[in-house]
This record gives sequence, structure tokens and C-alpha cells, in this order.
Amino acid sequence: MAELDHWHPVLFADELGKKPAPVRVCDRELVVFRASNGQATLGALADVCPHRGMRLSEGRVEGGRLVCPYHGWSFAPDGEGKSPATPAARPCADAFEVVERYGLIWIKRRGVDAAFPALDVSGYHFIGKTRHRAEAPLEVTLDNFIEVEHTPEVHALLGYPRERMAEVTCEVTSTERSVRVYNEGPQKALPRPLYSLLQIETGDSFVDDWTTWFSPVYTVYDQYWFDPATGQRRPNALRIAIFFVPVTAGQTDIFALSYALAAPWERYGLNAFAYLLTRAFVVMELRRDVTLLGKLADKSPELRGRTLSRFDKPLGLARKRIESIYRGRG
Amino acid sequence: MREETEVIVVGAGPSGLSVGACLRSRGISFEILERSGEVGSSWRNHYERLHLHTVQRFSALPGMPWPPGTPTYPSRAQMVAYLDAYARDFELHPRFGEDVRSARREDGGFVLRTEANEYHTRALVVATGYNRVPNIPTWPGEASFGGSILHSSRYKNGDPWRGKRVLVVGAGNSGAEIALDLWEHGAKPALSVRGPVHVVPRDLTGVPSQLSSLFLFSRLPPKVADAISLFALDRLLGDLTPYGFTRPKLGPISQVIVEKRIPLIDVGTLELVKQGQIDVVKDVRSFSPGEVHFVDGTTRPFDAVVLATGYRTGISDYFEDAEGWLDERGYPRYFGEPVPGAPGLFFIGFRNPLTGALHDIAVEAERVANYLAGEKR
Repeated sequence: MAELDHWHPVLFADELGKKPAPVRVCDRELVVFRASNGQATLGALADVCPHRGMRLSEGRVEGGRLVCPYHGWSFAPDGEGKSPATPAARPCADAFEVVERYGLIWIKRRGVDAAFPALDVSGYHFIGKTRHRAEAPLEVTLDNFIEVEHTPEVHALLGYPRERMAEVTCEVTSTERSVRVYNEGPQKALPRPLYSLLQIETGDSFVDDWTTWFSPVYTVYDQYWFDPATGQRRPNALRIAIFFVPVTAGQTDIFALSYALAAPWERYGLNAFAYLLTRAFVVMELRRDVTLLGKLADKSPELRGRTLSRFDKPLGLARKRIESIYRGRG
Repeated sequence: MREETEVIVVGAGPSGLSVGACLRSRGISFEILERSGEVGSSWRNHYERLHLHTVQRFSALPGMPWPPGTPTYPSRAQMVAYLDAYARDFELHPRFGEDVRSARREDGGFVLRTEANEYHTRALVVATGYNRVPNIPTWPGEASFGGSILHSSRYKNGDPWRGKRVLVVGAGNSGAEIALDLWEHGAKPALSVRGPVHVVPRDLTGVPSQLSSLFLFSRLPPKVADAISLFALDRLLGDLTPYGFTRPKLGPISQVIVEKRIPLIDVGTLELVKQGQIDVVKDVRSFSPGEVHFVDGTTRPFDAVVLATGYRTGISDYFEDAEGWLDERGYPRYFGEPVPGAPGLFFIGFRNPLTGALHDIAVEAERVANYLAGEKR
């Protein structure tokens, strides 16, 4: 399988209105549109008219069809085209499968039977969705998200304290399809009011337990706290799914869907307020990641020749699976 | 072997275990008979993707809240772990592998027979659940179909069906979620909707439907509750007729109360139906090699069929002269209260109100135990 044989998020669903939207994914330029015939049908086509090469994203939607702004040729979501001036012509645009789920628009190539990324958020409560663009290749971007060694330097709230990094455990397990990393260590000191808001105590242990999958490339994080003396878990936990979408060879979009365990209606709405802050934290921490990634001197995904730490084991495991599962090589 | 006991509870699912825990705390001796080798066997065998449709805070069994870290809707695996912990904490030791083959009233008590044993008991609590026997309809030409036809009780996940065209028969909660699971695994599912059905999102604008039901609908006259919910559903979901879902004449709340039918609680299937990812088709008329024929005269090719056609209680299969206590669909007419004319007999866990089956079981189990404790005194 090749990259576009897997489902990729390309847009927030609420960004796609009546107008067609251009998107770039895996170095392909596509146009996504919503039918205006009252149906919930979506279409995704190569963003170029097969007639004379116009950008279809400059066109308009009429009923269930996308109309080219140049000569008025129109295309159905399956690519079937009509030319008003040449009724006998049977033009065909390059069509992709498209679906709206979890508040995102997803696309993949037609005719391949890829599974939709598994994301069990039943019983979790949606906090928010974010998108950031890293000026780095897919592998190098993913690297940043599958080790915690960078958290004391890069992050304000997420992760572990610098002076106690040596205590942080890092257990890596893998299957043919996934790489799981379990980190456990002391929670970094936080501003005082956050403890009660997040329902945690000073001295709590923080667990960052994630699994990375490769069809498409995404990581689902379970983050929670417990009392190290009793092992008792704190009431809240976060589940964050991050999808890594190559835009070009050197750019990667990061779509994050964040969920909380604690229901917003609990604690008289205080949780709803905690959601707002959590969403802001996720945005802030992701911005720090992508800013840093943009400053890398060497963005080559090659790991050979580098000196690696005890936290870097997942990087090599992920490389192999990106090659075999995501890119379908070897 | 012949045994005499005070109380026999048949079934070690949520209902049977709850009654056991309530009897234990009242100091009443009892035995639980379970046909499988484990507690909660239905929950162990359900498809993997299943979650409770009800909120864990209102779905706890008597005496044991869900542990911290449990999501609002616990997963099937979490439910199994919870039932294991429940049996362990209340020291419930069901007799496993005891399949009740026959039960009858005798001398003011009950006689139950399993393969090896005969039990004589003063009181009997039937907690075998509404999932005891799969409903497996048959159609003409089925044998010639060629593809596999399996009941939803044998469906685990969509992995084996990637790229396959699979027909899911029955648009209940299992059918709709299995169609969704198949789609997520890269299969091409179609959902056969056999009759009119109400569709209710699991969460109404972020608030679980169970909570709205508990706090609002259970206190209003059903007609008023129907009107409010239909008004809300129209605005939230729109008209579903073009997608193949027709609405029953009876409102969703009345249907639960009068017909004991719960609506389809949507966990994401509808979004895919509306986008044309999952096709909705009519009721099946017949099969031919590789094809299914529908009552509207259409024919479509399929590689496999999943029958999400539900279950029956199967009580009358083993309980002699039980018909008088059962309704036309085989569900007991009496819940958590003594059965008229059959002192010592109780049924528990056979209804599924909007407020949630587990919530109901928790209430009923206490009541059953109170009746049994009262009789003893």
C-alpha cells in the first residue's frame, strides 16, 4: 500500500462550507466539496480539470456536482463528468473516497480497502480539535511525539521535571502493527490552581501511555495521574489522538483530537472550565513542538550515525513500520 | 445428586450476581447456577466494539460503584472486569456448568434439573437475561447462498471481512453498531431495516440520552415525553425517511413503556448512512447463490450475512407451564415482584427501560432480596 491508500484527515469539517476547498496531502493537490442538494454527500477529486487543467477548487458546487469555472464542465463525487457543450463527451476526474467523522474530513484512494483508524473514545468527552503544521518530514515530526526526553526542555506543563528525568520509566513494546510506549514518573511542578482544577495532588505520578499505529500514521495517548503511595488513580484522564499527515516531503500536518474522562457536567461545570484550559494547553504545547521542529538543522529521517538515548528506541521501530505498512515498501 | 436449598438464582450475569450480593448482605443462603464456565458470559461473547449505552454512574450494581478511571460509557472488556470483581468482592461462587434443563413448581417450591443434579428450592430467581437464545430466522434459498451467514452473537470484529460486501440484517443496536464496525474495518456493509424504528443519538448535544430520560422523561406523561423527544430528534437528525428509516406510529417513550422496545441508540452509524457509506436496504425475502433478494424486488450481491436479529429469553424452553407468566414475546410480565399465584418465584433483568437495564437490575435486585428476606421472617 502507498500513503494515500490509508485514510487521512485533511480538513476540519466546519471549514468545509458551500465552497469547494483545496487541500494538499502526500504531495497531491485535491479539492473537497460538499453536495448542495440537501444530501450529506461529500466529494474529493484531483484539483485539476481533465479538460484544460483548471483548478476545480476555483469552481462552484451545483446540486451534487462540482462545476469547473473555466468551461462549465461538471463532476460528480465519483469523478463522472459532463461537458455541457459536448454532450457525447465522457470526461472523468480522478476521484478519491471521502468521509466526515470526528469533526474532520478524511480522504483516501478509491478501490483500496483500508481500515478506518481505530479510536475508542466511547464514554470520553470531546475537548477540542487542533491542527498545526510542522516544517519537517513525517518521520522527524513523529519522532518528537514518541519520546518524552524532550518534555523538560520544550514543554511548559506536559511531561516530567528536568532534574528527575533519570527516574522516568520508559517501557517499549511492539507488535507488527503498532508500537506502544509506557512512561511513568513524577509530575512536573504546576502552577498552584491547576492542581485542584485537574483534580491532582503535588507529588502525584504522571503516566503517559501511548500507542502508535501506521495505517495511517497516528498515536493515541492516554495521560493520567495516580497517587504513588496508594496507586489510586485520580478521577480525570486525557485521551488524545494525533494524526500525522504528510503535506509535502518536508511538511507534516498534525491533527489532534482531545478527549477527557471527566464529564463536563460534573463538579457543577468546573470541568467544562477545565476543558477550556486543557484545550489551550494542548494548542500551546503543540505550537512549541512545531516551532522547535522547524529549527532542526538536519531534517533527514536517517537514524544511522546518530547517538541515541534510552528514550529513542521507538524511533527505529516506527521507521520500519512506516516503510512496510504506511508506504508499503518491502 | 439431590440438593435442598433456600433460594436458587439461575444465571450469573449482572442480574444473578446482583441478587446474590443482595441476598448475602441479608444473610439469606442461596446458590447461583450458571450454564457457562464464567460469570457474565453474554458480555464476554458480545462483539468487541460494544460499550454500555448507559452512563456508568447510573449503571452500577448494588454495593459497588465503577472504579476510578472508568469512562462514562464503559467498554465490554471493562464490563467483564467489573463483573469479575463484583463476584470476587461479594464472594459469589456460582456453580458453573449447571445448565438448567427443566424447572417446575412442586409442593409450594421448585424443582430444577441440570444434567447431573436435581435442586429442590423454596424460592427461585430467574436471571437468565434477554440474551439467552439467539433468534435465527430462515429464508428460502439460504442453503444455496454460499457465503457465511452468522448470528451477531458469533460476530467479534470486522477484521475477517475487509473488502467484503456484508449484509447486516436487523437495525437494532447490535445491527447498527456491527454495520459501523464492518465499515471501519474496510468492509462494504449494508443494513437491512426490517420495520419502523426510532433513532436516538446516544448523546443529545453532549448529554447522554439516559440522563435526559432519567431526569425528564420518567417523570412526564409518555405522550408529552414523546412530543418533546420527537421535536428534538427532528431538529437534531432531520427526516430519516430518505435514508430508509421509517418512524413507528408510537412515540419513542411510549414504545419503551408499551411495547418494551428500545429505540436504536446511534453511536455513529447514522452519520455514515447519511453520507452514503453504509447502504440501508429493505427486509430480506430470499437468497440465491451469492445474492440476496429484498422485499422491494431488488437484488444485491453479498459475500456474507450477519444476523443481528436479536435474542429471546427461552424461559418456556425449560420452565414447565411458564406461559401464564410470559407475554407473547416470551418476556416475563412481572419484574422484581412476586409472581401472582407462584409464591417464591421472581424474574429479574428482562426489561430494558430508557433509564437503562443495569440501573433497573440494581433496583430490582434489592426489591427481590427484600421480598425474600420478608418471606423468611
